[in-house]
Amino acid sequence: MSLFRKKRLFILLIGIIILVVLIGYSLRDRDRLTTAEQFVSDTVGWAQSVIYTPVNFFTDMFTNIGDIKKTYQENQLLKEKVSEYKTLIYEVQELKEENEELRESLEVTDSIRDYNSIQATVISRSPERWIDQVTINKGEQAGVKKNMAVITAEGMVGKIQSTSKFTSTVQLLTGFDQNSRISASISRKKGEDIVGLTEEYDEENHSLMFKIIDESDKDLKEDELVVSSGLGGVFPAGLPIGKVKEVIPDQYGLTQTALIEPSADMYDIDHVIVVDRTLEGTDDMMDDEEEGE
Amino acid sequence: MNRFYLPLVLFLVMVLEGVALELLPVNITSGKSLIISHWVLICLVFSAIFYDDEESNYSLIYAIIFGLLIDVVYIHVLGVYMFTYAITIYIIKKLTRLLHSNLASTLLFGILGIILADWLIYLIFTMIGYTDLSLGDYLIYRLLPTMLANIIFLILIYPILSKKFSQWQVGYSS
Repeated sequence: MSLFRKKRLFILLIGIIILVVLIGYSLRDRDRLTTAEQFVSDTVGWAQSVIYTPVNFFTDMFTNIGDIKKTYQENQLLKEKVSEYKTLIYEVQELKEENEELRESLEVTDSIRDYNSIQATVISRSPERWIDQVTINKGEQAGVKKNMAVITAEGMVGKIQSTSKFTSTVQLLTGFDQNSRISASISRKKGEDIVGLTEEYDEENHSLMFKIIDESDKDLKEDELVVSSGLGGVFPAGLPIGKVKEVIPDQYGLTQTALIEPSADMYDIDHVIVVDRTLEGTDDMMDDEEEGE
Repeated sequence: MNRFYLPLVLFLVMVLEGVALELLPVNITSGKSLIISHWVLICLVFSAIFYDDEESNYSLIYAIIFGLLIDVVYIHVLGVYMFTYAITIYIIKKLTRLLHSNLASTLLFGILGIILADWLIYLIFTMIGYTDLSLGDYLIYRLLPTMLANIIFLILIYPILSKKFSQWQVGYSS
């Protein structure tokens, strides 16, 4: 009997050793997944995309029923907005053309604002809620690479965590930690933009911590739009991240931290756009990115 | 042929876990309480009770395989689910000898399995710094809602799986 006990204890110890080795291996900052992991992700991803379509159809149907109730009020509101937008669209077009002309005259063609977009659909979401990740149906074959920004129509939702051939994993903003910072800014007059880095996501306040590294932060107001600044080297500039909810001084009172409420809904994501910045960052910048964004 | 049905069911359930959150209303998922679907674990508990006999260890082998698959597909930290599911199923397999297999014992093993597995996952994630939830908060906001949701799932699939799994048992039909 004692021999049997010893054997059991031995197996348990080996199991713990394997666990520690595997966790240590996967927590290391890996550039890419192993071939086996990619194969499994792709196979399961294929099955997920088959399952997701009918499930999504049904859930959409239920939300549609709920939506119909609100239609009338929404319609009123939207009509007003549309009339506002018409003039706005005209202005934007004028400005765009003017911008392009000016750029041409300056012979600056690339801008950190330009990006190619890759359309993708969410095929699954991690059931483990401490891992804020979703899987999308586009991978390396479609040109998706690690660390690319992922946005929806409302704003930024996250970045590419890992890729395999036909699927890739998106780390959502709600799962951002110390190591995934975005350099962001709040627009002001030229030369006076408020810039800073977004730090980890704060679970209690449901908001991103935006640490302002500039000194021009005296007049920060609530509801101001925070956009990516493109200075990190991988994300393009001008992607909306969220709105300022509250401004708090840090513990030494030297810098200020703004709490940002992400503008995109992290719990209701269907279609996303993977953003491939046209202007490549230099190699130095890419190295910074490992620690930066 | 019968022996392929169990892994097939487990694979299907694992894929369905990925859309589990879509099925819940948004105000539940975005709230403070965390509901985690341990459907694969529930199916493994069923297989430990109804599929395995005294000698065979299929449920334990599948716990290791599908735990690893969940790690690769959903967690991206290898070993977490593999280890917890394997230990949980091992203990439950030892305990199944003590009770007859019926709804009450399945419920008991299901609750035990979820508490054990989820608590081990909490322990590992705390150790590697993926969460800093205090134990009290964890019990109220995660373990309790998770357990209730999974027990509902267990009761719903009990009539189908308990019958099918004992039919597919190796050597039953051949």
